[in-house]
Amino acid sequence: MAVIQMKRVVICALKKNRKQLLEDLQRRGVVEISDTGLEDDIFHKSNLSDFRAIFTKNVADARRALEILNSAVPQDQSMLSALEGKKALTVREYEEFAKRHDDTLRAADRLEELEKEMAENRAEIVRTDLEREALSPWLGLDIPLDFKGTHKTAALIGTLPGSLTQEELAEKIAQAAPQAGPFSAEIVSTEQDQTCLFLFCEKKDREAYAAALNFLGFARPAVQADKPPAQQAEVLKAAAEKCRQTIEQDQSEIKSYAKYRDDLELLEDYDAMRSDKYKMIGHLSQSKRTFLLAGYVPAKKAAGLEAALTGKFDLAIEFSDPKEKDDVPVLLKNNAFATPTEDVLESFSLPARGEIDPTALMAPFYYFLYGMMLGDAAYGIIIALVTFILMKKYPRMKPSMHRMMNMFFYCGLSTAFWGVMFGSYFGDVVDVVGKTFFNVNVTIPALWFTPINQPMRLLVFCLLVGIIHLFAGLGAGLYQAIHNRRYKDALYDIVLWYMLVGGLIVLLLSTSMMRDMFSLTFVISPVAAKAATIVACVGAVGIILTGGRDSRNPVKRIMKGLYSLYNVTGYLSDVLSYSRLLALGLATGVIASVVNKMGSMAGGGVVGAIAFILIFIVGHTLNIAINMLGAYVHTNRLQYVEFFGKFYSGGGRKFHPFSASAHTKYYQFKEENES
Amino acid sequence: MNFFNSLGLPLALLGAALAALLPGIGSAVAVGKTGRAAAGVVTEDPSMFGKVLVLQLLPGTQGIYGLLIAFIALSQTGILGGGASAMSGSQGLLYLAACLPMAIVGYHSAIHQGNAAVASIGLVSKRPDQFGKSMIFPAMVETYAILALLVSILSIFGVGGLNA
Repeated sequence: MAVIQMKRVVICALKKNRKQLLEDLQRRGVVEISDTGLEDDIFHKSNLSDFRAIFTKNVADARRALEILNSAVPQDQSMLSALEGKKALTVREYEEFAKRHDDTLRAADRLEELEKEMAENRAEIVRTDLEREALSPWLGLDIPLDFKGTHKTAALIGTLPGSLTQEELAEKIAQAAPQAGPFSAEIVSTEQDQTCLFLFCEKKDREAYAAALNFLGFARPAVQADKPPAQQAEVLKAAAEKCRQTIEQDQSEIKSYAKYRDDLELLEDYDAMRSDKYKMIGHLSQSKRTFLLAGYVPAKKAAGLEAALTGKFDLAIEFSDPKEKDDVPVLLKNNAFATPTEDVLESFSLPARGEIDPTALMAPFYYFLYGMMLGDAAYGIIIALVTFILMKKYPRMKPSMHRMMNMFFYCGLSTAFWGVMFGSYFGDVVDVVGKTFFNVNVTIPALWFTPINQPMRLLVFCLLVGIIHLFAGLGAGLYQAIHNRRYKDALYDIVLWYMLVGGLIVLLLSTSMMRDMFSLTFVISPVAAKAATIVACVGAVGIILTGGRDSRNPVKRIMKGLYSLYNVTGYLSDVLSYSRLLALGLATGVIASVVNKMGSMAGGGVVGAIAFILIFIVGHTLNIAINMLGAYVHTNRLQYVEFFGKFYSGGGRKFHPFSASAHTKYYQFKEENES
Repeated sequence: MNFFNSLGLPLALLGAALAALLPGIGSAVAVGKTGRAAAGVVTEDPSMFGKVLVLQLLPGTQGIYGLLIAFIALSQTGILGGGASAMSGSQGLLYLAACLPMAIVGYHSAIHQGNAAVASIGLVSKRPDQFGKSMIFPAMVETYAILALLVSILSIFGVGGLNA
């Protein structure tokens, strides 16, 4: 149970070693690099955002290329592939890739090019199809659509609205242009709302006929081509065919790049790492030949780092304890049992300076409370088994995912424990199956008692658990205050509260009302009750006197003291809040028996058994999912609000070491994995 | 009084129905509201699906608690599982009263928890690292549904032992 002690590290090294040194640090992943805060005539910072932009672009290119590749050559991925984690990478592979880097980048560019070409060709096919569609009424015409006439004659090609016959057409044109000379109008095709026509006349009459036709609503064809429509259609068809072939070629070329998949993934990671490295160079203070690097390193790793670096490079390395005002990052270290709940703590807040790491104290309560809320032996075993198998099957899964699995593994064990205590196995499935299918009355008896028969007994137990949890929180506060040598605060803010709340609880239990309500079996002797009264009174008076010790004005002080005494109602609601343990525990059990009852409604026999199995599987899966979520949320709440409220506020910043795996997606260094 | 006594079972059934009805409506409204907010977040960032789904489901529990109370009431009165014997009017009223905390608190807490969950979805969409805290705000509202659930459960079991 500890926040790992950090050392501030300053390294001064030669500029010619900059690249190797940074890469070495990146692979080690133990140093968080921060600004040196030094900038003068000799040392200055370099801005490398231009380089970083190139790397960022390469990363984006590689990502895009992988997307193209994956849509062309789908990878068979199971639903659980997300758990697989990153592949291991050796330093040698990393260095060898430098040679293939540019080739891979070219492959990525080529993939993008092919994708673009395919998109263009697809658009071209659509365009030619539309054009052919537009040509279809003109297919009967054996001259090009842009035919204007011969030396002496003029031709007008276009459409008129409405469906006209040959006679109607001739009559309409003759009426519209009575003065003009002879003409020949030929209908190429008619459709419901338009007539395609070809008008032929002497050149001198062209204007007259054009005007006449315009008057009738003449429109030129949408497509113009120098070949007769039928031929033009063939040309278009050939073009579309060619586009199709190109697409197919491109498609197969893309597929031929499938062997580059690993390299493309490595490219994405490689340049992500380089981009990160250049970001770190921005933090360095550099002179002409040397550079300064400052950061934080866990104290335990300091000696190893010094030995490794001085062995490889010419440099000066110096460690110092962080100063009071330094913004020291926080890294936690706990045993295997508590570590899984570190993420629960982290999503609240990491410990601030001077605060203890409450993970080790929280973890056992966490599993305990979670198990009580879910409280079914079969559910617990399922959860524990599934998480255990997944952890074994995917040993390289992301650390955060592994911690979560591990946490649910312990929660599952605790759930199974409480299930046995309360006699719940898929709710009451044994009773129901026995009664429905075999006509026997069997029950697995509860090891302790059945909550649904004695809810008050469980409620009392839940409130007791709550009091223990809260007092443990107060205890952590006491430890913290003593640890930081704030003895007065320890006495005033914690010991007095222990006295007041503890005294009040004993006093309450001695009243006959509470005894009846909770059907208590023990009796608190009047002497003890009297002692409790005195202790509680001392506590209350003490709180009134010291609660407002920040103020100098005595009246204000007492007023503030009275106000802080009012917080005792907070303890009441905090303790009552633990009744959710009972409610959620009952909810799981009752919903499980609803499922079982519904399943048994189809009666015995084969049909009944099939119906039962179906309803059983669907119902209990849903129940597990919903109640796991509920138990998770409410266990977190009890920890965050009731438990942390007593001593913990957090506010620390997480330790983000300069590490290769921080920004990579597919790979991580082997060494790093082991350290 | 004969007519009143014939109302025993109907009153108990009314209680069970209300316990399933009101929190169910409340949860449906709330989950619908949060679902719309969640869908909006997922259009921007599909990787948020898991987180916003959890937040969407939070106000759904009231409906389940309501179902639970309805079920306990139905089986305690014998309407479900057969053997429903006639009960006095006052016994029926007792069951009705026992169901009311869950029915009424369930309805309102579901809707307000939904509002809190919508706000939390907004929080997570901007700061995905704050998921742990965002879950707590809607869970605060649920406390009251849980308290009502507890009172309803204890009352229904208690009514069974009374000779009213």
